[in-house]
Amino acid sequence: MSNWINESGLDRVIRVIVGLVLLVLGWGGIVTGTLGTVFKILGFVPLLTGLIGFCPAYALFKFRTNKA
Amino acid sequence: MDRTELLKKIQRHPRPVIVEFWAPWCTPCKVMEPALKQVAKEFQGKVDLWRYNADEHPELVRDLRVMGIPTLLGFNAQGEIFRRTGALPLAGLREAFTAALEGKKPEKHLSALERALRAGAGIALIIAGISLQTNWILMGLGGIVLFSAVYDRCPIVQAIKPRLEALFKKG
Repeated sequence: MSNWINESGLDRVIRVIVGLVLLVLGWGGIVTGTLGTVFKILGFVPLLTGLIGFCPAYALFKFRTNKA
Repeated sequence: MDRTELLKKIQRHPRPVIVEFWAPWCTPCKVMEPALKQVAKEFQGKVDLWRYNADEHPELVRDLRVMGIPTLLGFNAQGEIFRRTGALPLAGLREAFTAALEGKKPEKHLSALERALRAGAGIALIIAGISLQTNWILMGLGGIVLFSAVYDRCPIVQAIKPRLEALFKKG
């Protein structure tokens, strides 16, 4: 396991699902207006951090959900 | 033994060295041990394996900033080449020993979880894109995510990668 990965498997799966839901709601036009725009942008954050396995916020607070 | 002593010992050593930090209570270490011994035997006379019990060498663990066990560190006379934390399969160990022999970092491969996550997310995005009045943005995004699950096996990427690496090295 790479040292820089700071998310557990479950953490990553949840992030990817949340990211997908937000992106589908936003880009799919299910949620429109300001909230839809927020979903369109915000959805990338959990999706990317989940796919990569690294959360910058965790790193900032020296926190991790996986074993070092 | 501390870091300086170890590095001096490695510098004097005629062959590259793989340093492994393990512990008797570490289950992944026990799982990896037979494969590690097998690969060490295969590379006998080319790369040497030095095993250190992390419990008996806390100063070495601290000095080398070993964050978890098992950790493999590849060294040659010039210094540390790479490090890998976590149990490695047989193929991964062979790659690590080969990398130490050639003096370069072993290639990283996607784990099964990573591959499944990327593939799942990509497929989900494509399906969502098709279902939602053929949304091209979602489908395109899904395609990119899906490709990221298999990019390391793509013959085009494999063909281009060495050229790109050479280009960036020059730059």
